[in-house]
Amino acid sequence: MTFDGNTRLDIGAKYEKDFRRTVLIVDDEPVNLRILGNILKEEYDIVFAQGGAEALTIIKEQKDFLSLVLLDLYMHDGNGYFVLDGMRDDDSLKNIPVIVITAAKTEEVESLRRGAVDFLGKPYDSPEVIKARVKRAIELSIDRNIIVETGVDSLTGLMTKEFFFQYAREYDKFHPDQQVDAVVLNFCKFHLVNELYGRTMGDNLIRVIAMTAREVARSCGGVACRYNADCFYMYIEHQEDYSLLKDMLVQRISDILSPLDARIRIGVYPDLYRSANLEQRFDRATAASNTISKNIHSPHIAVYDNQMHEKELYEARLLGDMDKALEEHQFMVVFQPKYDITTDTPRLCSAEVLIRWKHPEFGFVRPDSFMPLFEENGRIKELDRYVWREAAKQLKRWKDLYGTAVPISVNVSRVDIYDPDLVDYLKQIIAENNISASELHLEITETAYTDSVTQIKGVVEGLRNEGFMVEMDDFGKGYSSLNMLTSLPIDALKLDMAFITDIAENNKEMSMVEFVLEIARFLGVPVIAEGVESASQYLLLKKAGCDIIQGYYFSKPVSATEFGHLIEKSRMAAR
Amino acid sequence: MTLDSLRSYGADVDDGLQRCMGMEDFYLEMIELGLADDRFENLGQVLKDNNMDEAFEMAHALKGVIGNLALTPLYDTLCEVTEHLRKKDAMDYTQAYAKLMEQRQQIINL
Repeated sequence: MTFDGNTRLDIGAKYEKDFRRTVLIVDDEPVNLRILGNILKEEYDIVFAQGGAEALTIIKEQKDFLSLVLLDLYMHDGNGYFVLDGMRDDDSLKNIPVIVITAAKTEEVESLRRGAVDFLGKPYDSPEVIKARVKRAIELSIDRNIIVETGVDSLTGLMTKEFFFQYAREYDKFHPDQQVDAVVLNFCKFHLVNELYGRTMGDNLIRVIAMTAREVARSCGGVACRYNADCFYMYIEHQEDYSLLKDMLVQRISDILSPLDARIRIGVYPDLYRSANLEQRFDRATAASNTISKNIHSPHIAVYDNQMHEKELYEARLLGDMDKALEEHQFMVVFQPKYDITTDTPRLCSAEVLIRWKHPEFGFVRPDSFMPLFEENGRIKELDRYVWREAAKQLKRWKDLYGTAVPISVNVSRVDIYDPDLVDYLKQIIAENNISASELHLEITETAYTDSVTQIKGVVEGLRNEGFMVEMDDFGKGYSSLNMLTSLPIDALKLDMAFITDIAENNKEMSMVEFVLEIARFLGVPVIAEGVESASQYLLLKKAGCDIIQGYYFSKPVSATEFGHLIEKSRMAAR
Repeated sequence: MTLDSLRSYGADVDDGLQRCMGMEDFYLEMIELGLADDRFENLGQVLKDNNMDEAFEMAHALKGVIGNLALTPLYDTLCEVTEHLRKKDAMDYTQAYAKLMEQRQQIINL
């Protein structure tokens, strides 16, 4: 590892004003001591020792302050090697640099071998030479200590990620034909270990995993690093079988933790043809590990395969095609009707606007293939706005056609909440299409509420002040506190689909739904149930007092034209 | 003792003075200190006792100091004696010792 001009520590500039470094001069000749001291005293604080034993005592006492030892090799009480050996054998002293002073050429190599960083001749060189070499030795020692400090993770003793990547790059340079694997090892929900068993236990566990990773890496000809809190990277020669790593982890961890709690996911990317760069290889190993559930009960291994590669390429294509798709209106909005079931006959009252992508090459792309992808890559805002615009335009068309319309709801993603422009943008759409804010309902997912209550409260209040209706979507998926619910300004609760799937008379799921309905009644807002697919679900929900139903039982999502017909039919029925 | 007298004696005054950061007083003080070393006297006795190891130690140490002070003629003699002693040359050191004591006195007298 090298330090360039920008990262090099300039000790002259940085520290001279703050403090002076201390140099120990060891020589048994007072004249020599004084001459050297006189040369260095302007720039350093000087400590003197007149023999080896005295020098070692001083070094031990002042090890935290000493920047350098200038050591005369030839002293009457035993030569300076005694000092060099004493320092080398003590871990707390061996990082203090020593320059030996000797007249004998034969001693130079030996003193370097025993730990000296440099030597000076006798009679002494010119003061400028001595000063320059002292300064240089101190700088190099600082750099080396920084490398040690920054290169090693203090908890585990493994390399840090920066040092690891540097190492891996060097390795690649010198072993271009070696097949190597990128391995990512991650302990899922590690915070639970800390919470359940305490920090000390958590630290111990991390150390055990680190030790195992290092041991396996070494035995496979490679290195390991701690990438972050609970994630480790390994860069090792290609292995056909990773059961050794898995078995060792189980065995080591079982000493301190039930193996059932060892939720370790191991992702492997074998790069047999060096087709990807280093970062990509670890990204792919991570992608492989992400295919394993976070709720496993023992270490699991996933090797990056063709299927994952195809998925990666497919996703890259989708991301790349997004701009064109927006331009060419490949995204289409569809409408899933919502029915008010509080009256005897269910009545069309609204619709949720959903998105479909008709890709020219792939055909219909499922929203769950591209929505999370766009979310992860920061593109969801553009898509959301596209949907809002299309929805508003459609509302206007229906109103023009039928003289009336029902309100429709659109999704507002988490990132939209943090967009300072949100309210203005929505107002602009409303104005452009000559519709009213109360006709555009906004669905905001519950988990966005739990992210930052203060932020969302302000945003929702702003939206409601402008007349928009705000529905809390996926309710039950997040962890809203009852306290938070009472203080939130919302117009409807939308039950998470997962609640509805398994409801049956008097079962646990049904009790949960009833409980949510109670909360809604307390808050004075209607409850919308989505994902209702059967008559029995519908009847149970109606009986329990649910207000609005959305789902295949009534209607699948339909096109704008079809929904227009539904509006028309509903208008006729109302007459 | 002055820089000029040292120079006329044969000392490499520029070299010695530079090593003392150009500080004349300091240089002269170090010379006095170096020449006042007991080991000059003790070396005679040790040589007389034929204690080669200790004689070598002393000559070597004196050489180190005198070299730094750039007192060239005395330094050269010390180097010569040290090298004989290092090789444990069985020879009569009386003359060499007398020479270095005379050179030392010569400087003291400057």
